[in-house]
Amino acid sequence: MKKISYSMPLLASLTAFCYPALAATPANTLVIAQSIDDTSSFDPAQGFELTTVQAFNNLYQRLVQADVQNPQRLQPDLALSWQLGKDKRSLIFKLNPKARFASGNALTADDVVFSLARVVKLNQEPSFILSQLGWTAQNVDSLIRRVDSQTVQLSWTLDASADFVLRLLSAPVASIVDSKEALAHQQDNDLGHQWLGSHSAGSGPFRIRSYVPHEALVLDANPSSPRGAPKLKSIVIKNVPDAAARRLLLEQGDADIARNLGADQLAGLAGKPGVKPLAIPFASLYFLQINSKASPALGNPAFWEAARWLFDYQKIANQLLQGQFQVHQSFLPDGYPGALKDQPYRYDPDKARAILARAGLSNITLKLSVNNQPPYLDIAQALQASFAKGGVKVELLPGISAQVSTKVKALDYDAVLTSWGPDYFDPHTNASAFAYNPENGSKTLAWRAGWHIPELNRQTLAAIAIADPAKRAAAYQKLQKTVQKSSPFVIGLQARSLIAVRSNLKGYVQGVNPDMVFYDKVSK
Amino acid sequence: MRSVSERLLFGPLWGVARKLLTMLLTLLLLLTLTFLLSRMAPIDPVLQVAGDHASQQTYAQVSHELGLDQPLPLQLGRYLLRLLHGDLGVSSTTAQPVASDLARAFPATLELATYAIVLASVCGVALALLSALKPGGWLDNLVRCFSLLGYSVPVFWLGLLGLLLFYARLHWAGGPGQLDDAYLYSLNERSGFILLDSWRSGDAEILRNAVSHLWLPVLLLAMLSMAGITRLLRAALLEECGKEYVTLARAKGAGRWRILWRHVLPNVSGTLVTVLALSYSSLLEGAVLTETVFAWPGIGRYLTTALFASDVAAILGATLVIGSSFVLLNMLADSLVLLLDPRSRQADIAHPSSR
Repeated sequence: MKKISYSMPLLASLTAFCYPALAATPANTLVIAQSIDDTSSFDPAQGFELTTVQAFNNLYQRLVQADVQNPQRLQPDLALSWQLGKDKRSLIFKLNPKARFASGNALTADDVVFSLARVVKLNQEPSFILSQLGWTAQNVDSLIRRVDSQTVQLSWTLDASADFVLRLLSAPVASIVDSKEALAHQQDNDLGHQWLGSHSAGSGPFRIRSYVPHEALVLDANPSSPRGAPKLKSIVIKNVPDAAARRLLLEQGDADIARNLGADQLAGLAGKPGVKPLAIPFASLYFLQINSKASPALGNPAFWEAARWLFDYQKIANQLLQGQFQVHQSFLPDGYPGALKDQPYRYDPDKARAILARAGLSNITLKLSVNNQPPYLDIAQALQASFAKGGVKVELLPGISAQVSTKVKALDYDAVLTSWGPDYFDPHTNASAFAYNPENGSKTLAWRAGWHIPELNRQTLAAIAIADPAKRAAAYQKLQKTVQKSSPFVIGLQARSLIAVRSNLKGYVQGVNPDMVFYDKVSK
Repeated sequence: MRSVSERLLFGPLWGVARKLLTMLLTLLLLLTLTFLLSRMAPIDPVLQVAGDHASQQTYAQVSHELGLDQPLPLQLGRYLLRLLHGDLGVSSTTAQPVASDLARAFPATLELATYAIVLASVCGVALALLSALKPGGWLDNLVRCFSLLGYSVPVFWLGLLGLLLFYARLHWAGGPGQLDDAYLYSLNERSGFILLDSWRSGDAEILRNAVSHLWLPVLLLAMLSMAGITRLLRAALLEECGKEYVTLARAKGAGRWRILWRHVLPNVSGTLVTVLALSYSSLLEGAVLTETVFAWPGIGRYLTTALFASDVAAILGATLVIGSSFVLLNMLADSLVLLLDPRSRQADIAHPSSR
């Protein structure tokens, strides 16, 4: 059954008679209504939540950047050019000599060395993106070197292709920070970490004017940005924790963009004057993860196979959460290089029953842990019904998200309905989660599923060393096929980012990766 | 044996000292309990800070930074020691000192709660008196119906309804938030009290805007508190009305209104003060749902966000503020009751240790 929050029918009926909006946001300011409660820090070495990574593209620049229209193509950002070193384990970057930070300081090789090394030294959540290259607090100063004031050489010890390294350098964590500004605010040798948590020191088209936790993030234009002056003077990202209130603000014209709307809210906005609802492809996958160590039955590949036929993909995507999901059954999201788009599985409870009977599995009860928020709980309820038809009893264990992830990381669960977003725009980001479980204690998704896969580990590591893009994509397709065919993951859905904008808004760009949000070309 | 003057001096002083000591002990107990409860929650605080994707090394570093690798009593002891120096720690969710977070969040709630309680007391007392004037009459039924509604309708729903009607449809109220964005960032001084800040800006337009954002959540909270105040006060009034002195007064020909106003109300003033204090302190705990719907950056939302993230420093800080205001209000109410009601003074003198 479709679950509708009790405010929705009311909203729909009352707003139907609304007068045209009287309010309007200031002409030179972009007002965005979203929840910013997830924010940890606006230091690119730490921020790893939706709110922060979306801000980084507007506050900072990287050496290279994915083309947002065609993210598979890399383009220069602060680096003018680069070339592969003779050892094939290093890259030499020539910087843009005209580039300046918002502070007016010239951007030099020292800033690049400072920015990348501090990520490794500070060792915050996203640091693994860079430290997987073999960079450690001890060796990073020798591996990232200034050649001259406009040239930097990066070396790595991991067996990885230059293409892979460039992809990592396009991640928000590799943002180039104004070293003079950061060090001027250093406290207790923290490389400016505390100060950068609520200030910015970048060269992007905007800079932070003020950040008040749980309240608002206000950005001012940085007309001297090497990326060009933005069209608007400022941006107000306002914390509106309730989705119905966000929708209301947008409809009234008190916000120009409303983010993270539910499928219900988006449907309610369709056809409203002055408002444009958007469902933008988003690289987030929703899947069922089975703890293969929970019981012999749950560790049996026949059960995993049966579960694939018990996931009612079409019904969830097309009826239950219309517009919020597309059916997707492989671990690389649509839009990624090498992503498999085929859908070998459909809902077939009879087939599932036969598979279970053949394996001698009967009377299976599955305790499904699930986040108590939409859309997770809605999907879990649908799974409860569809699994029942295949003879599998599903008990739901809803909890707040922190509780669910604590349980999963402690391996104290049977199965969980969860989601996974990529950390950077490269297939390895998801391969290293779904198809990689090294025995050294890295708690990847495969580890959380108790799935031991020495052969896949080898293939996953080998894939990052392949230099030829076509061969590399083929390697990931092979990995996806293996995971799709037999693994404790039932990948079923790829999300869309549901937002709504005022119709007079022009030039808003949002890409498939969570961080790919750009405000510099926005006008109204 | 002490002289009379000594007793006059030390008696009240001792009383105050005893109250302060009780208050400190209560708060200490509250903090210890909150600390233990937040540690017992099935949430890994490290995971909340380090994040789901972090490496093992990052996880270990964060665990060390949060002091979670130390035994529980040591963690609590260190917290209390720092508290004595006025240091509430750093929130792991906002990465700001908890004291500065609270200095922003608490005034926002205090402002809403104070206006709401003033409105609720005036209306609540009036309605209860009207109701008790003729119990069972149409006015009484109406008032009871109204207060039942205030009791039972979810505030979240009522808030959305109010926004739809007054903000979206009629444009009488501002939307979610404390001010329109156009004004919010033109305020230089931020004390957290939005009316005060907009008054100090000297711009009538900003003040008007602040009021337009404020009145709806205030009205909503006032309605909820009023429901409780009306019901309890009405019950107390009616109980008092059944007493013999009322019958006597009526026999002597006093009017019903005069009896209520001059005789009954003073006699239930102790109850009234206690009910008001309780209502006020429950408003000060932060009306989480109201604050969520109206995007009001108050302490209720701050505490909830901290709870969901197992942010112990923030939880303890917010608990301390809410707990202190609760204890202080109760002490204030106690003293007021002593002042207003001679009977309670007698009890205090007869059984000093019981208070």
